[in-house]
Amino acid sequence: MSATFDPTAVLRVLAEHEVRFVLIGGIAAAIHGSPYVTTDIDVTPLVARENLDRLSEALRALDARIRTEGVDGGLPFAHDAESLLRSTIWNLTTKHGDVDLVLVPAGTAGYDDLVRDSERLEILGVEVRVASLADVVRSKAAAGREKDRLQLPLLRRLLDETS
Amino acid sequence: MLAAVEARRLVKEARRRAGLTQAQLAERVGTTQSAIARLEAGGTEPSLSRVDVLIRACGLSLAVELDDRPPVDPDEWDRALRNLDLSVEERLQNVVAAARFIAAGRRSRAVR
Repeated sequence: MSATFDPTAVLRVLAEHEVRFVLIGGIAAAIHGSPYVTTDIDVTPLVARENLDRLSEALRALDARIRTEGVDGGLPFAHDAESLLRSTIWNLTTKHGDVDLVLVPAGTAGYDDLVRDSERLEILGVEVRVASLADVVRSKAAAGREKDRLQLPLLRRLLDETS
Repeated sequence: MLAAVEARRLVKEARRRAGLTQAQLAERVGTTQSAIARLEAGGTEPSLSRVDVLIRACGLSLAVELDDRPPVDPDEWDRALRNLDLSVEERLQNVVAAARFIAAGRRSRAVR
């Protein structure tokens, strides 16, 4: 993470561009009470032409670049609605920190699946849809990464305690 | 028997994922909305086969496997419980502060 990590600023830019998305991953887990630290922000946008156009504009406003190990500040990339569809995950770095665009998180069917059970919250003046803890757990369990596997027992217990 | 807390969570999650109300799910399995509500509230401990029926009625399937679930670290659990007493904004600010400290640490040089 080369820029100052400011998830609220990222969310504000997305909201200002009227991008429809669901916040997932570690930040969503933290909002639900997870004590684990994360250094990036994961969002799942609605995959629809107009929304991806707005997302592309928002990415320009965020000065988003491709996150690449060993390249401080990332690699510039041209994007529009069509090109954003060429990958299901974009690991980006922006002027407000690292952002992962995850079109179809593991174990889910993407935005429509996640938005159904999401919560609409106002966080520091920004209205955001946050994935349910059940969906965060579902996605982390399906992803099967080591860091997720280690967090799952606590997240599942949190889910049991709060649902 | 399936632990009430697991059954409650599984059925509720399946129903929500299917976009069904409790009444709609009840109709699909030939029971009452109040029975579904009771189950989701943890008031009953249904059998595994009953949970399977409910989940199938939501268009999903139940996969059961043995899991060596490691214990939750008590310190981490205490932090999670403390987080639950915070506002959403405070939880987010804690993560941001920790992430910034970690990033600063990674950029920092050793002091001699």
